[in-house]
Amino acid sequence: MKDIMKMTAALIIFSTVACVALAFVYEGTAKTIAVRQKADMEAALKGVFPDADSFTDITEKITSGDKRVTFDGKEAAFAAQAGGKTIGVAVKAATPGFNDAITALVGVGANGKIAGVKILSNTDTPGLGANAGLDKYYVNKAKGTTFYGQFTGMSANGNIMVQKDGGDVVAITAATITSRAVSLLVKTAAEAALTWLKAEGSHK
Amino acid sequence: MKAAKIFLNGLLNENPLLVLMIGLCSSLAVTTSVANGLGMGLSMTFVLVMSELVIALFRRLIPPSVRIPIFIIVIAAFTTIIDYLLQAYQPALSKSMGVFIPLIVVNCIIMGRVEAFASKQSPLLAAADALGMGLGYTWVLCGIAAVREILGAGSLCGFSILPDSFEPILFFILPPGGFLVFALFISLGMWVRTMSPLRSDARGSFAHKGDPEVRGANYVKSEDDKRSDEK
Amino acid sequence: MNLFGIFVKAFLIDNIVLMSFLALCPFIGMSQDEDKAVGMGVAVIFVTVLATCATWPIYTYILAPLGLVFLKTLAFILIVASLVQLVEFYLKKAMPSLYKSMGIYLALITTNCAILAVTFNVISRGYTFIESLVYALGVAAGFLLALLLLAGLRKRLRTSPVPSFLKGTPILFVTAALLSMSFMGFAGLVK
Repeated sequence: MKDIMKMTAALIIFSTVACVALAFVYEGTAKTIAVRQKADMEAALKGVFPDADSFTDITEKITSGDKRVTFDGKEAAFAAQAGGKTIGVAVKAATPGFNDAITALVGVGANGKIAGVKILSNTDTPGLGANAGLDKYYVNKAKGTTFYGQFTGMSANGNIMVQKDGGDVVAITAATITSRAVSLLVKTAAEAALTWLKAEGSHK
Repeated sequence: MKAAKIFLNGLLNENPLLVLMIGLCSSLAVTTSVANGLGMGLSMTFVLVMSELVIALFRRLIPPSVRIPIFIIVIAAFTTIIDYLLQAYQPALSKSMGVFIPLIVVNCIIMGRVEAFASKQSPLLAAADALGMGLGYTWVLCGIAAVREILGAGSLCGFSILPDSFEPILFFILPPGGFLVFALFISLGMWVRTMSPLRSDARGSFAHKGDPEVRGANYVKSEDDKRSDEK
Repeated sequence: MNLFGIFVKAFLIDNIVLMSFLALCPFIGMSQDEDKAVGMGVAVIFVTVLATCATWPIYTYILAPLGLVFLKTLAFILIVASLVQLVEFYLKKAMPSLYKSMGIYLALITTNCAILAVTFNVISRGYTFIESLVYALGVAAGFLLALLLLAGLRKRLRTSPVPSFLKGTPILFVTAALLSMSFMGFAGLVK
């Protein structure tokens, strides 16, 4: 009987101390993590819309036109404003890549053209699919265009597909799956953004 | 000094990865870059040192029949702590190592050392052992990562050190490359040990008592002790 | 992603041992012959599926709603450890011969990174319960496959001329490297 008491007591004490310690660490770091996540998001948004001076969350539901591309539930879209006017919309989308999901921010300007694409998370193979978001991987070395940079300026409802499939997107060498995934993501997100912009524009 | 000897033991003689062959699990996956290897090695060392310290400190208060669950609780707690610390202060590293950080909790090295050593030794010796094993793990990890990163990406810690004309051999960054480099490291370790004066029973042949073919994986040594303790 | 896709991805394309480098300890330690490999593999399938059945609901219905996400690592490993204990007791009573032949390796299933990795991954990938079970089955079956393949190859290795600097464990890893290369051919099997 005494043994069982000792065992139970030891287990309870260690568990409690562990849980309390973890709760402390969690609380302590939660704020830092949240602040940094917010800062990362703002930096990404600024990267897509450098001329914007503020961003607002869009609360209306934005639907994805393709089952394979999902929009973040809580942070699906942001409207970028400059001088009080909406200059564009950024949509945060995810799609399965080669390894795990690829998450990216796609910005469409009021002119109906893609303002920029920023890859937020990509766990594909280094040297292959991972090049999608790298600053040093160029699809056009002479012009210095990165893989994700090539989408800037494309029409939001244009033929955003890899060249193999008949589009204009230059794929990453030997990383067709990743290239196709990103293209699909950009296409779907851009179309959704354009739809929102048109609806917004018609309300004004 | 005894502590120093124990420390060096973990670094070389009984290096967990090359000699004892334990803790392989999360290891190879994080050796795609030296930054990852270093991050993983140091994180694991943190969990190992803290776990061995705590368990050595309270070893007399832990009833033997529930020691495994208690070890698990302690190790899991420290793993979670380092996980959240990394998420907060080294987010890029945390993201690139992904699920492997929480997997530190099942790293055989930690459970093995805690069971075989920390539960029976003073905190000072336990800390020395943990530091030695942890750093031994770290340097091998970084070594493998360095080879893989230099050959596979032409860089070291993200800095390109080879000229642009060098076409990286992608093979080394991919899983097969990891296995191959690890095989060569083990082979190298075996060879070094046969030459090393530290090993008094160094034999001419390369087959070592550590490899499974010769003596059945000896990484279960600590479990053998556990079984005999329970008798 | 449909269930078939999840299974094939877990079983072949992202094989837990050959592509994700997990569960290497038992991979090397339990592949000496095919019987041990099958025994270990089946035990792992059993524990992995059970573990997912237990951890997914606990996270989804208890930890997450109560904001106790930080207890995930602790809770999951304790659940896996308990399950392995239960399996041990059961095998000891019901199948003593298998229990004896597995020996120490049965207890070591607790530290099998693959099982814990599965429980973590289904959470981070946001799988539904059914998707999680299919994933768990796929991963564990992949583990069995890798184990069987290596066991068969080791039989051949015992009578092959292996260079002296690779004798012992190194040649096993070189073999794993070749197996891994062949598995890379499965990439793109499922869209």
